[in-house]
Amino acid sequence: MFRWLLCCVCFWCLLDAFSPSVFAQRVDYVRDVRPILQQHCYRCHGEQRQRSGLRLDIKSEAFKGGDGWGESLIAGDPEESPLMQLVTADDRDMRMPPGKDGLPPEAIAVLRRWIAEGAHWPDGVDLAELEDRMDHWSFKPLVVTSPPAVATADWARGPIDRFVLAGLEQTGLSPSAPAEPLAWLRRVSIDLTGLPPTPDEARRFLERVATSPTAYEEAVDRLLASPRYGERWAQHWLDLVRYADTHGFEVNTERPNAWPYRDYVIEALNSDTPYDRFVREQIVGDAFDQDPATGFLVTASVLLPGQIGKDEASKRLARQDALDEIVNNVSQTFMGLSVGCARCHDHKFDPISARDYYSMQAFVAGVEYKERRVETGDAEERRRRAAELRERIAAIDQRLSDHVPLARPQTHAAGRTTSAKLDRESFPPQEARRTAVDALLNIDRFAPVTTDRVRFVVAATNTLEPCIDELEVFNVQGENVAAAERGTGLMVSGETMVANRHEAHFVHDGRYGNERSWLSNQDGAGTIELQFADLQTIDRVVWSRDRNGQFHDRLATDYHIEALVDGVWRRVADAGDRHGYDADAAPTRLADELRLSGLSDEGRRQVERQRKEKQSLEKAAAEAEQGPVAFAGRFRTPDPIHLLSRGDPEQPRDRVPPAVLSRFGEQTLAPDCDEQTRRLALADWIVRPDHPLTSRVLVNRIWQWHFGIGFVDTPNDFGRNGSRPSHPELLDYLADQFIRSGWSLKQLHRRIVLSSTYRQSAQHNAFAAQRDADVRLLWRFPRRRVEAEVIRDTMVAVGGRLERTMGGRGFDRFNKRGGLSGFTPVESFEGEGLRRMIYAHKVRREPDAVFGAFDCPDGGQSAPRRSESTTPIQALNLFNSTFTAEQSAALSQRLRRECGSDVDTQVARAFELVLCRSPTPTEQKEAGRLAAQHGLETMCRVLFNCNEFLFSP
Amino acid sequence: MTFSDLSPNGSQLLDRRRFLTESATALGSIALLELLNQQQSLGASVQVDPEKPFAARSGHYGGKAKNVIVVFCAGAVSQLETWDYKPELIRLDGKPMPGGPAVTFQGPAGNLARPQYRFRQHGQSGKWVSDMIPHLAELTDDLAFVHSLTSTSNTHGPAENFLSTGFQLDGFPSLGAWVSYALGTENQNLPAYVAIPDPRGVPQNGANNWGAGFLPAAFQGVMMSSREPIRHLRGAGPAGRDTAARDWLRRMNGRHLEQNPGDSKLAARIASYELAARMQLSVPEVTALDDEPAHVLKAYGADDTTQPLRAAFAKNCILARRLVERGVRFVQLFNGAYASGGELNWDGHNKLKQQYDRHAAILDQPVAALIKDLKQRGMLEDTLVVWCTEFGRMPFFQKGSQGRDHNPNGFTCWLAGAGVKAGVSHGLTDELGRAAVQDVHPLYDFNATILHLLGLDHERLTFKHNGIERRLTNVEGHVIGDVLA
Repeated sequence: MFRWLLCCVCFWCLLDAFSPSVFAQRVDYVRDVRPILQQHCYRCHGEQRQRSGLRLDIKSEAFKGGDGWGESLIAGDPEESPLMQLVTADDRDMRMPPGKDGLPPEAIAVLRRWIAEGAHWPDGVDLAELEDRMDHWSFKPLVVTSPPAVATADWARGPIDRFVLAGLEQTGLSPSAPAEPLAWLRRVSIDLTGLPPTPDEARRFLERVATSPTAYEEAVDRLLASPRYGERWAQHWLDLVRYADTHGFEVNTERPNAWPYRDYVIEALNSDTPYDRFVREQIVGDAFDQDPATGFLVTASVLLPGQIGKDEASKRLARQDALDEIVNNVSQTFMGLSVGCARCHDHKFDPISARDYYSMQAFVAGVEYKERRVETGDAEERRRRAAELRERIAAIDQRLSDHVPLARPQTHAAGRTTSAKLDRESFPPQEARRTAVDALLNIDRFAPVTTDRVRFVVAATNTLEPCIDELEVFNVQGENVAAAERGTGLMVSGETMVANRHEAHFVHDGRYGNERSWLSNQDGAGTIELQFADLQTIDRVVWSRDRNGQFHDRLATDYHIEALVDGVWRRVADAGDRHGYDADAAPTRLADELRLSGLSDEGRRQVERQRKEKQSLEKAAAEAEQGPVAFAGRFRTPDPIHLLSRGDPEQPRDRVPPAVLSRFGEQTLAPDCDEQTRRLALADWIVRPDHPLTSRVLVNRIWQWHFGIGFVDTPNDFGRNGSRPSHPELLDYLADQFIRSGWSLKQLHRRIVLSSTYRQSAQHNAFAAQRDADVRLLWRFPRRRVEAEVIRDTMVAVGGRLERTMGGRGFDRFNKRGGLSGFTPVESFEGEGLRRMIYAHKVRREPDAVFGAFDCPDGGQSAPRRSESTTPIQALNLFNSTFTAEQSAALSQRLRRECGSDVDTQVARAFELVLCRSPTPTEQKEAGRLAAQHGLETMCRVLFNCNEFLFSP
Repeated sequence: MTFSDLSPNGSQLLDRRRFLTESATALGSIALLELLNQQQSLGASVQVDPEKPFAARSGHYGGKAKNVIVVFCAGAVSQLETWDYKPELIRLDGKPMPGGPAVTFQGPAGNLARPQYRFRQHGQSGKWVSDMIPHLAELTDDLAFVHSLTSTSNTHGPAENFLSTGFQLDGFPSLGAWVSYALGTENQNLPAYVAIPDPRGVPQNGANNWGAGFLPAAFQGVMMSSREPIRHLRGAGPAGRDTAARDWLRRMNGRHLEQNPGDSKLAARIASYELAARMQLSVPEVTALDDEPAHVLKAYGADDTTQPLRAAFAKNCILARRLVERGVRFVQLFNGAYASGGELNWDGHNKLKQQYDRHAAILDQPVAALIKDLKQRGMLEDTLVVWCTEFGRMPFFQKGSQGRDHNPNGFTCWLAGAGVKAGVSHGLTDELGRAAVQDVHPLYDFNATILHLLGLDHERLTFKHNGIERRLTNVEGHVIGDVLA
């Protein structure tokens, strides 16, 4: 390109020298330059589009340049101006404008000369005006207006209704008749608690309606006070923050202690935690005695250390991706802003610069995707004590290990002979052999080697595939460097995965016993390879089949241990110098591994004392350690955050301090500000009562979850590219009321579900539908299919089997997790499997075998609003699954139990339970006939598939 | 105030504007199924009628391809052992790579290693292809190679996401979901999008590769294989019971609709049960390979019980053809399973040659037979076949091993069939195959090209999610013109 440019320069010199007529006068921007830009550039770099962030019709923007190019015009220096470089590039993929020909040479010459002459662009000549990106409704303070006057005076119960009615009247529409009391009760019960009313609740409500003017209020208060409320509404929130119980990406392994965050959300909603506090706790709960709340920060998928490349660039990119997810979660959840768009370039629509984006990152730059001890009163003390005990145990182990004989591996396995004389090393005399392998514990001690990779290779077992519950590798300081918590990576040759029993990573998770073990997938063979975070000098490997002493099968009887030293695998121990394994021999104990011969009596007593001490210390340590942990992020000194050119971690620019979005506020923290202070400042800024977005965004979400669609139908985008609100005054009115009520969600719900607007019937009306097909003006209650959770929970509940235990680890919907067979779904549920669906262990992106098809979000990206698709797969699942068959059977058993054998009574009861109403005579007859011919179960199965059951009334 | 003021984006899927005005009695299954066949045309974003999400829709412009079969090789196939011939690498075998990286994804780099198979020239084009895949090598004149692809990640998970969804992160719609969202499908009795897992197991990223992301669940791939048809296709009870149950359900729903006339959501759900009933008949028909003649089974290797894995994969290939034959829009055929130290997929870190011998035997003959079969039946005229993998491998072995580490900087995929310029090789890696150097194409371009062949403009196929008009190609992507016929 350089040569080409040079030619151009010459050409232009020639022109300049020999064609004075063409260039006699100075280039004029308006006369000479703008027409060129208009003709060739505006289409992609003008008012409509600004490809690569470049706009050439406005002076300030044109000089600023596009994404990652820097200033596009350098006055006086055409060769250095990116604009010229681009129009003259000889690489066709690069050259502008795109296409075969590029700019005509005359045009290029004009541009070049114009820039050389100083790129004079007069002010005030631009035909377009740069819009003020802050001039947008949701970026401005709340505008509180009083509820409008309406013509139909007696319909409105309160301000909500007056705003809605005013909108209807303006369009020539009128509200629908109120829904039947039972229809409203079923609607509001499903809406607030995710479950329909029981026949008793329905009956009592009707009695109250007949006698009391406050029947509706009482019902709402009852529902809001029910713990079922938190379980229902937490699901909306978890969709939004893409909560899951697995880590995502390729391995998608369990994230075992994510659920405390789910429980926190349920509890916070049930206790009507003020929303401003709810936000604060999720960002910086560690400062408010709500540790699990910060699970919010780390809900995203993340690459585990072993999945990230060893090269530095891979590590930097993975960290950037992880931080990006936090910024996205904070900004879209609380502020409805797509700040993440500014990761690579200034936001295309909103007043958010790339610098703003990285300043936001700096607030959370000390958050790690890790578990954290959850603080309880004595947690600190317990933890300190446990650590101290563990140190003492390690010291004893270290001392005791001096008595473990050194392993003498066969360095040349092939050269093994039967002659002890020929190869003494590889064939030790009988009496010098180490103890036989044992299921309970084995120690292989060897001369120290320095390495970062160790592998344990099983060559034979006593039976079947080898199983190992724990593999520990000790360095010379006596620390177990194999432990996963030290960042040690793991690879296995293969595994037979059984959820929560045999999973490869259990082999170095610090927990013992068969139920936390690795099981190979090959008979008599398997390899475990560990990669330490850094080089270690090691001298001891400790391993076991089952350290709890229950299992003796699947024991590795022939094995070798190798360390990678200077790129070569060196054998450090094997079974060759052990006694042969004897299945009938009594299990050994740790003491048998110790070489006690040669010790004085006093020496033996000392060893014995140390062993006893170790046992009691271990017990104490285990007790002290049993504090709860949560996957709620771990906080450390923040990374320095730099503005990254085009979002590329390999192109860092200047360092940025934590700062709020510059067009929305002014707060900037010191670059070295401590970690927690950063998150506190961020949270404080978001929940300022004068923040224009926080309350609006939340009120809109709540409205949407009640009516199926919000005032703004882009709930995660209140920016300039989002939709405008259908009822801006009502939105602001509610947002203001919400703040005044002390940010109380329950009061907001109450206001909404008791309004006449919400009480309308869902009946269709052709006239209104012509004017407002999407029911945005709310001329009726918008009917919608209920969510997967409502269907499942209700099916279980009406069968009388809903297990109401709250909290704790979720129940499994898959028998096996990942691995070769993928996630094999559980077909039949009993016991805790019949808990509410929010307590299902959420495997990211693995849809529930039956209900996944009903638009359950996959936990990948935020799902602020569920889609509502209708597919034949849904029909197949709900009609044919074992789940439906079992719930139908449970319901029919209940019917028999409660109604005896009279079919009419059974049918009537079934309708009451499933549809909250009595059957018509026709239905009674048809249902009875179906039950008689094909069983009560079949009748129940049809009810579970009815539209009436699947739609909110 | 008019409606359009309210909702600039209200025309999206599931914002139901259309209402059925037919009375409930006219809502027999036949009337609805008639509706399902209507064509729609695409606007800037897709107009999907919620009552018939799978109705065939036309693209932005006439595409040559109507259907797609993607052969997805999980684990990252080495370009150096297959399609990217590097004589210089043979010459420098065993020497350190000048200026090469010290550390790659899995650890320290070793010395350059020659291709582990012999290369020969094939076909009119004289294309050099390795002996690892002799059957496919015969077809080089039908294939269009892109040798200069790059990925943004060197890690299987994010890279498979990137290949399948255009994003490294979890949660974005897969290529097949985009295509069935845009184009619907030709056969309403079969799923629009079928994912066929490898007989050895599911690929590394599992359902992400055929997920719907934030698109409606309707557009996710349905898992099906020659061994396992669709889950819940049939109930446990006798057929007569199901028929009676369906009859009563139809009556219950019909009356409910009469009481709530004009509600399209209710009508759509009724139709979905009719479609499900038809699927119960059509799925077993397509998965039963009994009516395939012996010579076809033989050509694919599906009859060879001495190689059960190859036979099972071959049956999947036949199933792919049968699905496309019946109008299924998008079929994803997986070759290679989960991470397993390269034992069950193409992740050859340690014993590359030994493992590739086995993997190639499974891949080669069945896929070659599939292409020949499609061609012979004239189906290659409107079916696009895509062969892809998430990234390539390094020209050197890893230190202390006999295998190659991950290389996202230059690797090969190919296209064949409808609209593809057969026999062309586009793009180059350097003389050692370390990185793409000429006509470099991020996978965005490859995906843009696939959409283009289907008549879809990757910049106009969008879905608004969380404030962003999302695309398969994010804000990138150029159609690779040189591989188009």
